[in-house]
Amino acid sequence: MSAGGAGGEAKGGYPPQTIMALGIVGGLVGIYLGNFAPPAYSFFGGLGAICATVWGADAVRRVASYGLGTGVPSIGMLALGMGILAALFGLSVGGTAGPIVAIVVAAIIGGVIGALANKVIGMGIPIMEKAMVEISCAGTLVILGLSVVIAGSFDFASVVQYVVANGYIALIFIIGGMGILHPFNASLGPDEKQDRTLMLAVEKGAIALIIAGFASSLHEGLMAAGLNMLIGIIIWYVAFSKHYALIKRDAYAVVGSGMLPSSEELQ
Amino acid sequence: MIDAILGNIIWMALITIGGVLISWSVHFVPVGGAPAAMAQATGIGTGTVQLAAGAGLTGLVSAGFMMNVTDNLPLILASGSVGAMIMIAVTMIVGSIVYVYGVGVVPSSAKVKVDPITKYRQDLYVSQGTEGHGLPTVSYVSGIIGGGLGGIGGSLVYYSLIEVGMSAGLEAVGVTNSVTGHELVAVAAIFAIGIFFVNAVIPSYNIGGTIEGFHDPKFKKWPKAVVSSLVASIMCAIVAVVAIAQLGGI
Repeated sequence: MSAGGAGGEAKGGYPPQTIMALGIVGGLVGIYLGNFAPPAYSFFGGLGAICATVWGADAVRRVASYGLGTGVPSIGMLALGMGILAALFGLSVGGTAGPIVAIVVAAIIGGVIGALANKVIGMGIPIMEKAMVEISCAGTLVILGLSVVIAGSFDFASVVQYVVANGYIALIFIIGGMGILHPFNASLGPDEKQDRTLMLAVEKGAIALIIAGFASSLHEGLMAAGLNMLIGIIIWYVAFSKHYALIKRDAYAVVGSGMLPSSEELQ
Repeated sequence: MIDAILGNIIWMALITIGGVLISWSVHFVPVGGAPAAMAQATGIGTGTVQLAAGAGLTGLVSAGFMMNVTDNLPLILASGSVGAMIMIAVTMIVGSIVYVYGVGVVPSSAKVKVDPITKYRQDLYVSQGTEGHGLPTVSYVSGIIGGGLGGIGGSLVYYSLIEVGMSAGLEAVGVTNSVTGHELVAVAAIFAIGIFFVNAVIPSYNIGGTIEGFHDPKFKKWPKAVVSSLVASIMCAIVAVVAIAQLGGI
């Protein structure tokens, strides 16, 4: 399997610190606002999840540029695998501080797995440890954010009852993972640009918010669910338009191929 | 929190063993990735993670089904193992049919001169410019061994997590089989899936691309992945056991 990418450091665009700050601060603020605001405002959790998705996609972009040898999707699945463990652990012991405990645990798990990948397995990627910490934390925040959208709060009992027990957690697992792994996987190549990749992450995060909003109708009622979906659709439309504009900017040429030829014209 | 860890040491050990088994099993499964999808390498045309997850989750389902009727650990492990083996065997059979009748290639490996099981010559049938194609007998047998190990690992993790939850006294707080499912089963299943993904990705970094099975030269690298998985699984076990023990309080 080819991993794609040029096999070197990812260049250009916003510095990692800026994106990291956006992911942590945006993610946590969104999750806490979604928790403490009335149920109708649970879409804030989704906004936090979008910030975390962008952070995770940027971290995947930086580490996968070195070439993982296994394809980009594996790292997104690892992010959500670590994230699900850390998120539920944090909520179960942390109470109000749950999301912060979850991030700390995610950072520890990610750091150890990154160190194992570099030192024991010998992948030799200089930023592996740091990137694993970031990816693991981003995965945790995505799960927490989308759980807040569905359950309306991050109280352990509510999350277990309204998100885990009815299986929506599997949905979150896949749509959250898609937001983290897909943007770089879809955009990789010699002309990959950070802003285009991250705009795709925003778009994927918005789709996750729409789907989570749909799922939230079970517990939060149609009004809150409708608001969640409406916010998601607006963000999706804006992000998709911008992504399309960036594609046109980066493409050599955009030409219409016309309609398929009719059977007479093919004779 | 410490009580939960000390009280469940034996289950944590079993979770760790399960994680290591999953990691080891991945090395047996013939993975070809995108090149195999174009019949330019041996194996199934997808990534390690997807295959390991597929086999493991099937194992989880069949183990959970067996837990409906018995709590006998060997029977549950056997059920999980057979479920995963059937899943991987069916995948490989369909893959082979597509390779032989759809793509029109002979299953053959470029990494060994004779198949270690059938003793048939391989090099005569390898197309130029490829690393082999299809699923030779040895890869097929290896994949079934891998599926079996992965299924045992997955069901061991799931069974241990359920036992931890039972000992936390979850049934005392009015958790019933409601329309939205059973909380403990859901939490244990999602933790098992999380542990499964972590332990499926670590060996795939070790393999780094394609692997044909136990005859592949890369198979010698498995101790590294097993050590890494051991450490990672111990952490996962601590996290999962503490979180599930907290379920008793809600």
